[in-house]
Amino acid sequence: MKVLVTVKEVAEVEDDFEIDGTGVDDRYLEYDLNEWDDYAVEEAVQLQEAGDDIEVVSVTIGPERAEETIRMALAKGVDRAIRVWDDALDQDLLDTATKARVFRAVVEEEEPDLILTGVQAGDDAFGATGVALAESVGQEWAAVVNQLDIDHLLAENVARVHRELEGGVEELTDVELPAVLTIQTGINEPRYASLRGIRQAQSKEIAPKTLADLGLEAGDVESSLFLTEMYEPESESDATLFEGSAEETAAELASVLREKGVGAE
Amino acid sequence: MDFELPAEHRMIRDTVREFCQEEIAPIAQEIEDEHRFPQEVFDQLADLDVMGVPVSEEYGGLGGDQLMYALVTEELGRVSGGIGLSYAAHVSLASKPIEMFGTEEQKAEWLAPLASGDAMGAWALTEPGSGSDASDMDTMAERDGDEYVLNGTKQFITNASVAGSVLVKAVTEPGAGYDGISTFIVDPEDDGFEVTTVWDKMGLNCSPTCEIALDDVRVPEDRLLGEEGEGWEQTKKTLDGGRISIAALSTGLAQGAYDHAKEYAGEREQFGQPISKFDAIRDKIVDMHRKVESARLLTHKAAWTYDQGNEVNRESALAKLDASEAARENAEDAVQVLGGYGYTTDFAPQRFYRDAKLMEIGEGTSEIQHLVIGRQLGL
Repeated sequence: MKVLVTVKEVAEVEDDFEIDGTGVDDRYLEYDLNEWDDYAVEEAVQLQEAGDDIEVVSVTIGPERAEETIRMALAKGVDRAIRVWDDALDQDLLDTATKARVFRAVVEEEEPDLILTGVQAGDDAFGATGVALAESVGQEWAAVVNQLDIDHLLAENVARVHRELEGGVEELTDVELPAVLTIQTGINEPRYASLRGIRQAQSKEIAPKTLADLGLEAGDVESSLFLTEMYEPESESDATLFEGSAEETAAELASVLREKGVGAE
Repeated sequence: MDFELPAEHRMIRDTVREFCQEEIAPIAQEIEDEHRFPQEVFDQLADLDVMGVPVSEEYGGLGGDQLMYALVTEELGRVSGGIGLSYAAHVSLASKPIEMFGTEEQKAEWLAPLASGDAMGAWALTEPGSGSDASDMDTMAERDGDEYVLNGTKQFITNASVAGSVLVKAVTEPGAGYDGISTFIVDPEDDGFEVTTVWDKMGLNCSPTCEIALDDVRVPEDRLLGEEGEGWEQTKKTLDGGRISIAALSTGLAQGAYDHAKEYAGEREQFGQPISKFDAIRDKIVDMHRKVESARLLTHKAAWTYDQGNEVNRESALAKLDASEAARENAEDAVQVLGGYGYTTDFAPQRFYRDAKLMEIGEGTSEIQHLVIGRQLGL
């Protein structure tokens, strides 16, 4: 069995920052593995540990700098990685459809039985790449998966998943492989990479691929979304202090909450 | 000349840093207050292959270099001096000598469990009447057939009460001075071995510091490490490496104290602005930063020199001397920056202050470091 995990290096912004054009100034950014992808990697590695002969491959779209981040996934047990990059991909914003087209080319080459993605990326938060990829490759999918029955998957080739819906409702779904699952945080407890894992990861393969390597052209990755402006919204704060006994202030607070429409009647 | 850390080293440092922040920082004061050796933390460190970083893979270690080991030790010191101290003693003093001077059989039996973290290690040189003048020791090892019989008292032995093995220095040839000292691998389960005191200390209380009594402890001759009379030469080599780890640990303490002071100074407002905007506090914090940087540079240089296989006596003494002073000075300044809060146990600086003081005492006092460096300078 082959499992493909899409991962992304995301920019994390410091508390205080400055905006430069349509982005946050580089000086205030730190790069790390996307939090949701960390859970997706852990789920894949747990699957690999539970089964026999399961290969886990990670794929990312990103510049050379992203190798350090993807290598952390290799340190945690991913077998090998693919990094897709091309001058044509160096855009302000890659929309979901564009990313799905790139990943589709990788999927066609790798032919994985199961694809795991994070639910969303912490930086641009589209939350749609996994589902768009499933649609693009014509596979079944389940989004926002917070539980996966690994034994069932290995025995039946069916992903029995819990999906997190609004209002605390959970849905139990069976998805036949091949399929795409978008993984929610909390599905597992991502491990720390062991130091031996980190050392071994230095010699694991991260295969660089250009668009041409994947049979794509610059025209295939023309984003239809463009960033037009980046700004900090004006923030307003309006604080009301209640003074008096607990009974009085509780009653005042209750009436304010009612006025604002908070809480059920 | 390249000051950039290799990617592998950076990843290891960042992973250990994350572990320290998540798993150790939240309990660092609690284990001090309870005077509790946190076995569960060391079990986790063992799972992450931290316990044998600079020990060869052949014996279950990670096979990393001294620089990697220094980076890991610094990160531990940044959150807990006590955990860092027990770790440094385990690796530099208890594990490395077996790797450097032991037989294949000794490495398989005694080094492998230390390198994997299945057991903690300790090293016993100091005695109640013998500290800086370490060669003037009273612990005796007399040969009796194919055994040695050890008698004496060892003082301030880190990890002795939690150890699976203790390297004990003892006199095998009275009157021969430095040439009459030998090293023995002692199992705390051996009859006649007793931990008689676990000291209450000014700081570092999660790291047990013990007095041990050896009363007719019989060990088979294959517990002799190296040859008879090599104990002092081994000690000097051991301390050359050990001092790099204390320098790294001290750099971590200095960095941790700086972190706390900088964060607080940026948030605490007096006279209508953060106190970091006042020259008095800004200059203090800049000096703390300067001391961390220079301590780290000296430590990394010593580690690098060690990794080249070069003589490191002066470099390691210099790093240890500088970094231990940086740790104590930064910790004191951090207490001052936090003012009244810095003096309370709800805030970390007082703990760094307590922990840092030992760095100027253990593995050779600052006075002995001056002596060592002076000799190297031909003074």
